[in-house]
Amino acid sequence: MGTTASQLSKDLLSEYQELTFLTKQEILLAHTRFTELVAKEERSSLSLRIPMEKILTMPELKSNPFRKRICYVFSTSERKDGSLTFEDFLDLLSAFSDSATLEIKSHYAFRIFDFDDDGTLDCGDLENLVNCLTGETDDTRLTPDEMRQLINNILEESDIDKDGTVNLSEFQHVISRSPDFVSSFKIVL
Amino acid sequence: MSLFPGGGVALGKLGLTEEDIMDEIESGKRDLVKELVAMSSREQIQAIRVLPMCLEDKKHIRSQVHDSKLSKHGLQLTCFTDCSEQVSRSFRRCGANVVSARQAMKLWQGTMKEVGGKFGTSVLSYFIFLKWLLMFNVFSFLINFGFVTVPQLIQPPNKTAAVGFRGLELLTGAGYFNQTVLYYGGYSNGTIGNEPVYDMQLAYFFTIAAYLVLCAVSLIYSVARSFQKNFVLSTTGSAWRLLCSWDFSITSEKAIRQRKNNLRVQLKESLSERSQRAHISTSAKLKQFGIHLGTWLISTALALASCAAIYYLGLYNLEVIKDSQDSISLLTEASTLLLPFVVSLINLIIPLLYSLINKTEKYSNPRTQIYVIILRNVFLKMGILGILCYYWMYNVPTTISCWESFIGQDLYRLVIIDFIFSMLESFFGEFLHNVIGTRCLPSLGVPEFDIARNVLDLIYAQTLAWIGIYFSPLLPLIQMIKLFLMFYLKKVSLNQNCQPPRRSGRAAQMQTIFIALLFFPSFVGALSMVAYTVWSLKPSEHCGPFQGLNITFEAVALWMDRQGSVSESMWPVWIYNNVIKSELFFYLISLIILVLIFFFWQITQGRKLLITLLREQIVNEGKDKAFLLDKLQKLQKEKQTTASSQRPYRQIPQSFDRRQEIEPDYDQDFEDLPGRPLPEEDTGPVGPPFTSALIQAMMARRQAEEEEEEGY
Repeated sequence: MGTTASQLSKDLLSEYQELTFLTKQEILLAHTRFTELVAKEERSSLSLRIPMEKILTMPELKSNPFRKRICYVFSTSERKDGSLTFEDFLDLLSAFSDSATLEIKSHYAFRIFDFDDDGTLDCGDLENLVNCLTGETDDTRLTPDEMRQLINNILEESDIDKDGTVNLSEFQHVISRSPDFVSSFKIVL
Repeated sequence: MSLFPGGGVALGKLGLTEEDIMDEIESGKRDLVKELVAMSSREQIQAIRVLPMCLEDKKHIRSQVHDSKLSKHGLQLTCFTDCSEQVSRSFRRCGANVVSARQAMKLWQGTMKEVGGKFGTSVLSYFIFLKWLLMFNVFSFLINFGFVTVPQLIQPPNKTAAVGFRGLELLTGAGYFNQTVLYYGGYSNGTIGNEPVYDMQLAYFFTIAAYLVLCAVSLIYSVARSFQKNFVLSTTGSAWRLLCSWDFSITSEKAIRQRKNNLRVQLKESLSERSQRAHISTSAKLKQFGIHLGTWLISTALALASCAAIYYLGLYNLEVIKDSQDSISLLTEASTLLLPFVVSLINLIIPLLYSLINKTEKYSNPRTQIYVIILRNVFLKMGILGILCYYWMYNVPTTISCWESFIGQDLYRLVIIDFIFSMLESFFGEFLHNVIGTRCLPSLGVPEFDIARNVLDLIYAQTLAWIGIYFSPLLPLIQMIKLFLMFYLKKVSLNQNCQPPRRSGRAAQMQTIFIALLFFPSFVGALSMVAYTVWSLKPSEHCGPFQGLNITFEAVALWMDRQGSVSESMWPVWIYNNVIKSELFFYLISLIILVLIFFFWQITQGRKLLITLLREQIVNEGKDKAFLLDKLQKLQKEKQTTASSQRPYRQIPQSFDRRQEIEPDYDQDFEDLPGRPLPEEDTGPVGPPFTSALIQAMMARRQAEEEEEEGY
């Protein structure tokens, strides 16, 4: 802890505390875990990007079915490769932290579930989502018929304006009514 | 364009109107900054924190807000603003430090994470519940120990222990413990110290009353919060509920595979449930009704039979004690263990029978099945406690001389034996089930952690502790130790023997139900038992703080009389005479509460109406949007055909089809801005008050104009 604490200056630390939902300990822990992924000589700079493959070796993300989507959503990289800087990493932890609000959590959940990044959850996204949750292999997938029925049910439940897709506000509306979401949309280091 | 990284690409594809969009975004950003500047610095931080942007953009916004704030205030006030800024910053840091210190102090943080990572949120909720109860007991122990036991220990009465310590006391709580401060009988009725005197009677009464009132307040608060969060709001259908129930905190590979399987099964079930709902014939319905009636009869009969058995066993036990009251031999002391043993045995076996019965009935909805089994168990446990209370209230005081201590001992025994049984159950139930399931009978499988049964056991134990607070002020200490050990016991048993529960979801609602059960009937029952004792029963004549009084509450009445004779105008006396003793006051209070309830009910009715209206409005707007889009597309096509017929070489600009798939992103950008929880009907100050259809229309018109310009 001692070495990492010296790396994050006090001002930076309090700035992070102000801008995220994380506490001091959590930020320091995040920093330790983040720098562990980097080779020793590179540790000095804060703007260093860690490629997605390395991020995904963390046990907290390793087996998450949405791990790649999470990286893509929180990455600020120009090349869209899912690589994360330390600040991106903090963003990720902040959104998944205990004290993050429902709005933030549902916003990022929406972006994670929006596989083609087009701003709405259309049938393709929903299919991807269900496949992610039930497993990708052929024997674990739902049959096309079941899938169609399920997507119909989903749209029936949530598509208020009947345009065939679920947009962010509809999604947030649904989420605000499923109380388990807040407690389960959580990653703790 | 850095507000939304995702949106950037999509908008980037839109060659022609990119600048306009940039303008819109910029103006949105400017408005946002303007709004932020107007806030106090505390609100500002909150508002910036909840912006769905990346850190860098938040930093940017923050510095912009800072700059414009500085330029606004000018230079004349810099010193003052600097100072106030400094002060508020240090306050904030202080607050943040408190938060992080609290987090560092949280008990069992690591264990909780481990359990959550392996078994998911629903099992974790059991441990959170346990911890919550532990906090109740720690608090109760602290105030009881501080205000009742310590003063008593400072001035011990001149009694000597009748018997030496023999070891069996740890189980029975009698013998050596009988004269100690563990029980009601160990407290004296005198006063301690001279001027100001410390009246033991009043201390005993008010400490317990204060604890019960605080418990009631915190329970009502938690129940209300939990209901508001988890019940009133949750009306979503099953599909989204399942999709949203994915636990991001689970880290173990095996658990994730299991979860995926369970989720798939549940999704399939929910699909088949929907399609089959209508196809149940009348005869099948009748048959089902018959089965339900039968099972309910059987389970009620079982509960009643066990209650009767416990009552007669109690009476028999009382006879034995009464006969040998003078010379308590080791054997009679051990025989007192029979009653708690039988109670715990019933508590162990009948729920097992219930779950066997439950397997024969087929409920269409698995949730109903769980609720039914919870309901039956609650009936059983509360029936047992009710009959025990009756036995304590009507049979014990007439036969035993120091009956409060005797009840305290009974409760102590119940708590201890219950703990032993839950230990045995963990080892033999879950451990043996695991061994048999993995070695001999693979069809039996590894046991699941039964959250409902375990939580009900906790509620039962807590009810005992609450009832015991009057008869044995240090019972919370025993309960505390018990819960502390239970935590580790359950954790080990869970890790060694159990698999994650097959059904996920609804964890939050279950938790609400458990908290509600803890309040009613558990707490309310215990409270009424204690209240009845205090207001209606004659305290024992030769022991305890209230000896010689007709009822316990007389202590307060006498005190008030004394105070009243000393000085007439003291406020406690006034309150006592005009509030506690006056019927008018309670009449008025109930009247006011009834009126308030009526008002709130009316408000909820109004809101329900409003919600349906708003919903209709959204649907209509969706139709409007579709209509406008349609029209635009038609227009565009006409334009294109005329344009291409005039100038066949000209490249066709971006089609509206393409824009249509890009549009929602843009739409989203505006709805995302903070302060707009209901984007569909809100015209918040942050985003421009355009609906998406309007924006689209604007974009399309501009494009059409540009085309025309190019065309001519």
